[in-house]
Amino acid sequence: MQRNTTADVRDAGRTARGYAALTRRSLLGGAGAASVLGASRLARAADHPLKGQSIHMAILGIAGWTPSKLGVDLAPDFKRFAKATYGYDVDFSYTEAPFSQLFQKAATSLATRSAEYNIIISDSQWLGALAQPKWILPLDKYIAQRPGLNVEWFSPVVRSAYQAYPDGSPQRWGLPQEGDCMGLYIRKDLLEAPGEAESFQKRFGSKLPVTWEDFEALTFPDFLKLIAFFNRPDKGFNGFGAQYSREYDFISDPVMTLMRSMGGDVWDARTGQVEGILNTDGNAQALRQYKDLLRFEPGSAISYGVAELIDAFTQGKIFSALQWCAVGPAMITDALRDKVIVVPPPCFPTSSGKPVRNYIIGGQPWVINAFNDAAHREVALDFMEWWYTPETSLAFARHGGNPCDKATLTRADFDSIQPWFRTYKFMLNNSSDFWHDPAYADLLSVQQEGFTAYATGQASDPKHTLDYIACRQQKVLFDSGTAAKAPSAACSGIRL
Amino acid sequence: METATATRAPPSWATRLAALLQRRSVLPTLLLIPVLVFFIIWNTMPTLWLLGLSFYRFSLTSGRPPRFTGFGNFQSILQDSEVWLALSRTFLFVFSAVGIETVLGLLLGLLFWGSQRLPGRRVALTMLFTPMVLTPVAAGTFWRLIYDPTFGVLNAALRGIGLPSVNFLGNARTAFGAVLAVDVWMWTPFMVLMTLAALASVPKAELEAAEIDRLSWLQRLRLVILHHGKFILLLGILLRTIDAFKTMDLIYDMTFGGPGSTTELVAIMLYRRAFEVFAMGWSSALAVILLLISIAFTATFIFVLHARERRSQDVPT
Amino acid sequence: MRALRTHLYHALLWAVALLFFAPVAWIVLSSFKTADQILAVPPTLFFRPTLANYVRVLSNPNIVSGFGNSLILSCSSVLIAVAVSFLAAFSFSRFKPRGTAFLMFLLLSIRMLPGSAAILPVYLMYVGLGWKDTYFGVILFYAMFSVPFSVWILKGFIDGVSPRFDETGLVNGAGWFRIMTRLIFPQVMPGVIAALIFNFIFVWNEFLFNYIIGGPRTANIPTALATGLYSGGGVDWTFVSVTTTLYIVPPILVVFLFQRYLLVGMTFGTVRGEV
Repeated sequence: MQRNTTADVRDAGRTARGYAALTRRSLLGGAGAASVLGASRLARAADHPLKGQSIHMAILGIAGWTPSKLGVDLAPDFKRFAKATYGYDVDFSYTEAPFSQLFQKAATSLATRSAEYNIIISDSQWLGALAQPKWILPLDKYIAQRPGLNVEWFSPVVRSAYQAYPDGSPQRWGLPQEGDCMGLYIRKDLLEAPGEAESFQKRFGSKLPVTWEDFEALTFPDFLKLIAFFNRPDKGFNGFGAQYSREYDFISDPVMTLMRSMGGDVWDARTGQVEGILNTDGNAQALRQYKDLLRFEPGSAISYGVAELIDAFTQGKIFSALQWCAVGPAMITDALRDKVIVVPPPCFPTSSGKPVRNYIIGGQPWVINAFNDAAHREVALDFMEWWYTPETSLAFARHGGNPCDKATLTRADFDSIQPWFRTYKFMLNNSSDFWHDPAYADLLSVQQEGFTAYATGQASDPKHTLDYIACRQQKVLFDSGTAAKAPSAACSGIRL
Repeated sequence: METATATRAPPSWATRLAALLQRRSVLPTLLLIPVLVFFIIWNTMPTLWLLGLSFYRFSLTSGRPPRFTGFGNFQSILQDSEVWLALSRTFLFVFSAVGIETVLGLLLGLLFWGSQRLPGRRVALTMLFTPMVLTPVAAGTFWRLIYDPTFGVLNAALRGIGLPSVNFLGNARTAFGAVLAVDVWMWTPFMVLMTLAALASVPKAELEAAEIDRLSWLQRLRLVILHHGKFILLLGILLRTIDAFKTMDLIYDMTFGGPGSTTELVAIMLYRRAFEVFAMGWSSALAVILLLISIAFTATFIFVLHARERRSQDVPT
Repeated sequence: MRALRTHLYHALLWAVALLFFAPVAWIVLSSFKTADQILAVPPTLFFRPTLANYVRVLSNPNIVSGFGNSLILSCSSVLIAVAVSFLAAFSFSRFKPRGTAFLMFLLLSIRMLPGSAAILPVYLMYVGLGWKDTYFGVILFYAMFSVPFSVWILKGFIDGVSPRFDETGLVNGAGWFRIMTRLIFPQVMPGVIAALIFNFIFVWNEFLFNYIIGGPRTANIPTALATGLYSGGGVDWTFVSVTTTLYIVPPILVVFLFQRYLLVGMTFGTVRGEV
């Protein structure tokens, strides 16, 4: 609720300038009306057990994260819908916490078996930490009962990243609130400036990638040429920007992406083994590569998080940015309209000849508090069922959210709804999640420390940095009973 | 309180109750009761809880009940090289920060001592004291912008005089100094205030005597000023030391303890382990250790303070 | 020559004051800029100031209620703390009950416990008692945090008031309660005000406990700042600068208006005259 006014002003500004095709009011109204028409699909209208009652729902979401807020912004439509279809009154309140503190806020509340937050927008990796102590509602039973929740997703990754815990099990705990993948945001105006293609051709003997398809085929080595070419500090901008911050998981996502795309992995989800999998020479090479990208980035890139990267890009300090699709609305400001294309980030050549992309997936599931009373649980389920109707999904998309359902993503006009949608859809099939372990925060904290230590020069040897991380992570997982093997002898006394 | 009873109870009762309440044996305790209630509810209970939990293995997110491990947590902490590094970093931070703030505060305090006729003195002093009333959340966030190599005003100034930009918070070599500088900026004014208060406690007559005796500037500082102002200055140093030892949100907002672990002070480590990892038993044990360290600081200070009281008992107030 | 030296001296003093104030001035200046101007390279010193940021922030109901909460929490908790502390300080100073030194030391230990260590037991206790996100719970918590410092300051001041006052009062038939409120209290006013100010500033700026044991109803501005920091994924610089600028006005006014008491207060009662 914190950002209500700001976001409203921003949203209103965007809409007025034609960001979404329709105005906010008519769009919402339209979605609401359409949902009412589609209500027959959701059945059980007349004899809803809560008929005539009045329910207050509290949602906990990520502060300043547009998609989270959309979950609440669209809620008034559900209010109308619920009144018309089920005959109960519902209103919503919204509590926010920044990314790095949201789990803390949720966990401190849930640990006391509180139903203070009825619905929680979680990060995908927290599923384990929320599900293990049984703080959140297992959804399989309800999905079986409610056809509206049995959504056909666009890609299997949606289920594995936002729903399943433990990894690979059929048990489901969450539903996708926002789907998210990394995209490469490119300053099209600079890319297509006259003369650039010729001089690129002359310098590298290859064609400058311009179209979305060119980028789909762009390999990492060729990508390096591109950002080197557009790295022009003398003109006030650099070739590239990505995240290196110690905050939350900011440096981990791209580094793990490089590791996995270059043939490595970060752990074995089945045995909990880290040592020997994370600390390989190949992964050390990937870590070094990621640090080397700093050559083409502004000096401040070493402290970039999501927010700083947005500032750098929108202020014209970088030619391209590896950034989440979820922040598309903030990355493509009015000043940059039509000057930005969002394309698939580079692929990585393999020995088999077929290049791969194994990017880290972003996005957030929402989960239902297990301590809700029956009424709040029913409303939460009603709300989610409504959320996945094609009408609501489309309204969400038009507002800049990334839906995950097949019906919306396969619409003929989907790619054109938002500038990053084509890439988002493409990347959804090229991304996957990492740890869903309850020890997520512990694993992450060690890794963030190690990666940033190497990136900033506090540690100088990438292989040793990975040894250190692997040892500590192995210990965390062994202590929690996830890993079968204790840290090896090489780990004793290891320091960064 | 005795008047309230008087209206309701018969006079003889009231007089007796009032007399009882006034008794030297009852009154002192009576007056302490509210503070003791506060102390027991909000301090003793959490501390005991903390102490108890420190002997258990308990992760909030594991879904398993706490398990008694004896000194297992303490053992694990003492063997953890990260904890030792964080502790040494914290000591370095506390000593540098409090040291610089004390020296700078003392110098600036002396500088402002004779400023009674400064035009706009009250405004100037208010400006000087402003950093310490700024919300740490806001201070941390804005310093991040001020230090920023691209958008920051500090680097713009550096470039203006022909120097290269420095990524103060992003470089493993400069980050510690950069956060230290912000702490110094925020808390030197506090030491200036304490110095001015200390100077105010110096009797004018003794200063005049010192002038007549033609004592050198340094002698005057040592023999007269520090002699009388020592108590207040020490108190200032103690308060700063305790707070610097706990420094968390200011640095967390600037660097999150990074890059690497270069600015991860022990209070940040504790916060992270307690509220990101939810390793409650382990964190409680670390908290107990930190509490013991703080108590040691304070005990030392109280000892020095009492030594001063013993010596100055004959000085009339 | 003498005049020149005085001028130079005064210029130096002002330079120091301005140096310390400069970062705050930068925040204030930024609050009148547009988001793009805040991030402009090189930084802009001269620009057409806009009040749009203020309108935007002040029309945010959370900021308005945050200000209200900050005021309610700070004022009531320090008043309670100082009242309670005065009684205790009087007892410590006049009757020196057994264990005074130890108790004073124990009180100071409240200040020593790192926030992240204290918060979890307090949090669980609050949930158990239903005090979480209640004014009652948050105010009393802050009052507790303000007690040690207040007791220390006030004891110093009461020590400085001669016991002859008490004796005169007792001889004239006044009870201890009357002596405390009518005779001693007015004389330690500077200490009381200093204790009020210091604790006010502490509670005013407190974040961690408000964030965890507070909630939507009792959220103060530091909590609102921390949650409102990001907007649309980016740092909302105009929001931060405007809120900070507005928020720093009350403490600055307090420091300006009660400067004398700050100085006198920090002498811990060793001086009670003009400073």
